[in-house]
Amino acid sequence: MTALGEVVLDDASRAFHVRADPGRTLKAALLGRSRESGPPPVQALDGVSLRITPGETVGIVGRNGAGKTSTLRVLAGIVPLDSGRVEVGGRAVALLELGAGFGRDFSGRENIMLNGALHGLSSEEIEARTDDIIAFSELGHFIDVPVRTYSSGMFVRLGFAIAAHMDADVLLIDEVLAVGDESFQRKCEARIAERIAAGATLVLVSHDPALIARTCARTVVLDAGAAVFDGPTGEALPFYHRLMGTS
Amino acid sequence: MGELLRYRFLFEQMVRRELRQKYQGSVLGLAWYVINPLVLMGAYYLVFAVALRPGFKHPAYPLFLLVGLTVWIFFSQSLLAASSSLLDQGALIRKARFPRETIPAATVAVQLVTFLVVLALVAVVTVAVRGTFDAPLVLAPVLLLALAAFVTGLALAVSVLHAYYRDVGPILGAALLPWFFVSPIFFEPGDVVHSDVAREALTWANPIAPFIIALRDVLYGGAWPSLATTLYVLGGAVLALAGGLALFRRMAAELAVVV
Repeated sequence: MTALGEVVLDDASRAFHVRADPGRTLKAALLGRSRESGPPPVQALDGVSLRITPGETVGIVGRNGAGKTSTLRVLAGIVPLDSGRVEVGGRAVALLELGAGFGRDFSGRENIMLNGALHGLSSEEIEARTDDIIAFSELGHFIDVPVRTYSSGMFVRLGFAIAAHMDADVLLIDEVLAVGDESFQRKCEARIAERIAAGATLVLVSHDPALIARTCARTVVLDAGAAVFDGPTGEALPFYHRLMGTS
Repeated sequence: MGELLRYRFLFEQMVRRELRQKYQGSVLGLAWYVINPLVLMGAYYLVFAVALRPGFKHPAYPLFLLVGLTVWIFFSQSLLAASSSLLDQGALIRKARFPRETIPAATVAVQLVTFLVVLALVAVVTVAVRGTFDAPLVLAPVLLLALAAFVTGLALAVSVLHAYYRDVGPILGAALLPWFFVSPIFFEPGDVVHSDVAREALTWANPIAPFIIALRDVLYGGAWPSLATTLYVLGGAVLALAGGLALFRRMAAELAVVV
């Protein structure tokens, strides 16, 4: 049994087939060709083991394609593993990219309802949070305008405001914070700190070492789908810089 | 099951989204959901009841035709809408974890609402024209529930198959046209074929046929459907729903990768 906020990856592996067209045609399936054509599969996670205790703040760094986002998608329960084990205790809320789950023709307010529903909340639970979310997002009267008119900064503010008010036991955040302006970033960091103080766990993927250093006590360095370093952020970041040749 | 209850509100939101998104920005908006089937029915009515005038002996033939047509339109439109539904909502599937069944189920729910509105109109007129309010009508809710379960099961299967194999939607679209003509919509099987084998085949080999026949018996004929038809309908509903759900759950895990 996994405790609330606990995250376990045990020898987790996952490969993706790289194809221009993700869907298969019946012809390919019937002839059994689907696996032979095209480039070989990419091993996004290659035997990653990770144990995060409740309340920990963990950064994930690594070069493009190292498996950072795949790790988050596996933890969020969106993509299953090929082998190994993943367990996440309690409600995991993922903020994976700009406008996650936003219907473009729907207003910000309607998207709050939809996003809450996607996380399994009832309409009463969402309504109880709506005012806080709107206030946090600083969208003002834009909250009742279709989100297709939003700037990317407004998108990320709404997305973060929603994710931060879902009572997550595990918060999974991918990169997106960089889009907000500096004052909003600080506000997000403060909100994350509040959630952590309340017992939530944070897993943050970022290319911004300063953000990782401010937010995460522990950092995992991924390279080619494997965890090549896992320890205190103060030691992990120098390792990462040496790996990238930027130290 | 507990999980489905927890996501009840998500289902509501999906239905709203489906209703709003499809005809977003069109002047008539939601009305299209009723206009489309009415136009289809008008076209079929012109062809079969006015132009061709088949020599069958059904009284109030337009009503005979409309009951079957309404059921067919619900069946075919639901499957067509469901086939592309998972791809249409790919953005949600790639970014959040939630029961994927809600997506095709919401598309069927939207079609079901339209269907019930149109069918209620047809039924009221039919009963009024017949002039008697017959006991078999009590069977209608059961038959409609079975039809909804049957269509939902097939919709689940079609939607997940189409997400993996993109030929499924076009094949379905092509199959529905001839399927319409061999379904007992503008005829009773006994009207068009004379050999017993052919009649039995038209009645039982086509899984939607017993649903059309049973609902028409009840709504148009004011008569009890045969026991065999009723059992077929109930069995078909359970089988389609259980099979569709099992297939969907088996294939749903990789949806975030394939859509």
